Amino acid sequence: MDKLLRSLQTLGALVVFIGQVARSAVTPPIYWGETLRLMNVLAKRCIVPVSLAVAPVGAVISLQGIEIFKLFGAERMLSSFLGTAIFREYSPALASVMVAAQAGSSIAARIGTMKVRGQIDALAVMSVDPVRYVVVPGVIACVIVAPLLSVLTNILGIFSGWVFAVPLGGIDHGAFMEHLTAQITPADLWIGLGKCSVFGLGIGLIAGYLGLNVGKGAADVGKAANDTVVSTIVLILLVDYAVSMALLGAGL
Amino acid sequence: MVAAIRKLIEFVRFIGLALRIQFTKIPPRDVLVTQLVDAGWGSLALLTMLTIFAGLNLSVQSYGSFERFGGQDLLGMFAAVGGVRELYPVMAAVVCGARIGANLAASLANMRISEQIEALEVMAVDPVHYLVAPRLWAVTLALPLLCGYADVVGLAASYAGAVWQLGLDPGSFISQVQEQVSLADIGTGLFKGLIMGWLVAVISCFHGYSVAKRDGAEGVGIATNLAIVHGAVMCIVVNLFLSWLIYG
Repeated sequence: MDKLLRSLQTLGALVVFIGQVARSAVTPPIYWGETLRLMNVLAKRCIVPVSLAVAPVGAVISLQGIEIFKLFGAERMLSSFLGTAIFREYSPALASVMVAAQAGSSIAARIGTMKVRGQIDALAVMSVDPVRYVVVPGVIACVIVAPLLSVLTNILGIFSGWVFAVPLGGIDHGAFMEHLTAQITPADLWIGLGKCSVFGLGIGLIAGYLGLNVGKGAADVGKAANDTVVSTIVLILLVDYAVSMALLGAGL
Repeated sequence: MVAAIRKLIEFVRFIGLALRIQFTKIPPRDVLVTQLVDAGWGSLALLTMLTIFAGLNLSVQSYGSFERFGGQDLLGMFAAVGGVRELYPVMAAVVCGARIGANLAASLANMRISEQIEALEVMAVDPVHYLVAPRLWAVTLALPLLCGYADVVGLAASYAGAVWQLGLDPGSFISQVQEQVSLADIGTGLFKGLIMGWLVAVISCFHGYSVAKRDGAEGVGIATNLAIVHGAVMCIVVNLFLSWLIYG
């Protein structure tokens, strides 16, 4: 019973927090300088791990896909499968997981450290709204940086898939490109990028919430960073599934 | 650049040290059991939740892709082969990295900055033998089991997605799974889990263990973050090379 009450309390606090962030994000002043600085930091920190994490996925899809598609003599179709899988599913989901692991945890740790040191209270004393100054830039930065990174990983994923399909898998280059361009619609790309933005929003909100509600000491900061990663991964997979079902229902 | 190379050399030396201690001495049993329970049992809830969604996703997403060329009846095969060979081992390893690996790094780093590791040395207890070796063994042994568990949960979720949500034929799904997934595939998945588990453990332990006292609380956070990110990237890259070696 106690546990239930506490989780309800957390849920309520989360809703209130999201409301605060939403209000601060649409009303001026928005600290654009801080946002840009944060975007720069996040993009620099994430670009290598995100690329390294997503590029092998295209290769694995080609590697395993060729065998399956060969059973039906349809290995020329591999590229259209690879394309939809990378653009719509794996690039957004994995890029976001890595952004959560790298950027989300560092945002949570930074806000948590500020909270523990009393800097958040100092901001409030100076009548600077901490949500506005500390959380909103992180959320905006995540929402923008995640899709940008996903564009890069789309290219890398397709390229590594191409490497394993054409030079190593023996599929004709012309057939690969033809099926890739014929089957992939701009809608696939936009769906992928849109998903990335949604995941980025989730990362920023969770990191901000857990960072602001950190416990007392240094160990709690580490715990907040770790909790951010774990709960964002859960959220990403959950939202991904919901979005896939909705898109399937809408026939996209 | 120089710092990165120095860190890499340190890492290689740590691997050598860990391997030697791991295979020449029996790890202390009480620590091993605690770690094994924490790594295995402690990850079950998270892994179950994630694998259910991943399995459902695998069905729903590949349905969309296969439908474009009328191949939706092959879903069972794809979900089974893709899941058992690739997705579930990698997921188990990445989840393990995010949860267990982060815990390992944080706890070791915490011991380092609170001088508990030095205290062990003063008592003539080898910290690598007493702290690192049981953790390495625990994660290495737990991950294949978690992979096997993820295979079962994930396949069940894929089945549920394919049959109940997408209305595919249950008999054909099951028969495709039976035809396409051999014991060798499952064994390969578990083997991958073994390798990736050891890698995650050794990376996390290295980041935790190599924190210096002067880094303080911030060092703990950095070590945890590095453990998660390096562990996840390493799992995915190593998985590609293992698949290439085995299936290529």
